Amino acid sequence: MSDSARVIRFPARRRQAALIDPEVASTRAREYLSASTEARSEGGLVRQLREPDFLSAVCRLLREELNTAPRTVAKESAAIYDLLLAGEVKCGVFDEHEFFLGETALLSAGSLRLLGDRDAAECWLDRAEAGYRHTINPAPPLAQVAYLRLAIRYDKRQYREVLELLPSALKSFDVLGLPVEAGKARFLRAMTFKELSRHGEALAELESLKNFLAQGTDLGLHGQVLIETSAYAYGQGRKSEAACDLRRALVLLEQAGRTIGVAHVHVTLGELLRNEGNLSEAVESYRRGSASYLSLGSLAIASYVRVLTAETLLAADRPREAEWEILQALPTIEEQKMVPEGFAAVALLRESVKRRKTDPNALRELREHLQKQN
Amino acid sequence: MEIEEDRGRLAEDDPFELEVRRVFQDTLGLVHLALVTHYDLEELEAIELEKDLYVWFVRFCTRPGNFSPIQSRPFLMVACCQFAREYQKYLIGTGVRDSNDKLEKLLDREPSEVARDFARNLQFLDYRNPDV
Repeated sequence: MSDSARVIRFPARRRQAALIDPEVASTRAREYLSASTEARSEGGLVRQLREPDFLSAVCRLLREELNTAPRTVAKESAAIYDLLLAGEVKCGVFDEHEFFLGETALLSAGSLRLLGDRDAAECWLDRAEAGYRHTINPAPPLAQVAYLRLAIRYDKRQYREVLELLPSALKSFDVLGLPVEAGKARFLRAMTFKELSRHGEALAELESLKNFLAQGTDLGLHGQVLIETSAYAYGQGRKSEAACDLRRALVLLEQAGRTIGVAHVHVTLGELLRNEGNLSEAVESYRRGSASYLSLGSLAIASYVRVLTAETLLAADRPREAEWEILQALPTIEEQKMVPEGFAAVALLRESVKRRKTDPNALRELREHLQKQN
Repeated sequence: MEIEEDRGRLAEDDPFELEVRRVFQDTLGLVHLALVTHYDLEELEAIELEKDLYVWFVRFCTRPGNFSPIQSRPFLMVACCQFAREYQKYLIGTGVRDSNDKLEKLLDREPSEVARDFARNLQFLDYRNPDV
């Protein structure tokens, strides 16, 4: 052995370079995520973040929870990113540290987008790009960043830009062999067509996706596609087909653990049942929807659904229950500034509920305002 | 290089890791050539770096969206050249090793560029092993 090889230990070569059994890594990742902040630092759990297999398992668990617990994912991924960035933990060898900076930032961006914080999500996407750019094969993760940027543009109603940029993203997904991402991008295109009232193109894309996803490549996305095809079927008078698609969507989304999607289906099913005059089942469906949104921490949407429930309850001649729903919804509507200050309908509604004579016009006005926001 | 020595887990039951291992072993001759002949690493230094390269390559192949192990070999060569370059720069910078013109020129080149030259040899390997 040469002198240099005996004396010098290259800094990047560390004990944590060794591979860990995936099951062991998953168990330790679960323990880490369920431990309190104090327990993590006292027990030295944070040190495990130096191990790429452990960190990879943590990211996988967070990715699985993205749609069900976005607030938790945003908090956890940002905390790990900060530790990595501050150099408190140096993870793995070669480009692994930068890769995990990208991964945790992308998780933060995805979860914040779901929580509706688009500015923060875009900022995290910049961080994800900065991390991924220094990895050895940046193309696949950067394609995912590009998709999320388009999804945020869609959220911001920048539909022309979405349609302009989507073909390039789709080409990247095809070249890189990423069918799940390609499916998501095609769904985004269908939804953009829909928003632009190009319904023929939207429906054609959705029907093609529905067939493609029937192979079971992505249960969650398949569920979302079925929600949309059911809306078109309903609009074209094929009501039983619409209800059938929605119920299938509910099953698929539950299997995929997509709580946001499940919440959305409950609300959509509520609307369908209400339009059919089945008010009591509509109320139950709405209530399941608001409960799902509440469990996700999406208080604003949950309050909007409560307003829908209240309207349906009034129509069903159940005013006491309607009052209760309104009283549950109003504090969040005001706290989260979902209506402008001094919005007359809210004051009228509060007063009418106090007198136990709910004003249906004020309730409708509030619902219409919230509907525009959503 | 003995992969088992530095692995920390067994690959026998995991077909994917076995595939990664096979691809790595098939490319190891070229990796060793790059480290020793081009980047002037000592034999034992090269063996140590190859162990790190192996565990990195296993993880790299499992990253979301990455290609199959066989298609990922060019990236293995990039990592190999990048790590060898950083290592030699570290040794020269700390005064442990003297540089020379040939090595200086190589260290000035981007590792991805050097790796591209080696990628041609990967194509040659494929030609010799038509089943890959």
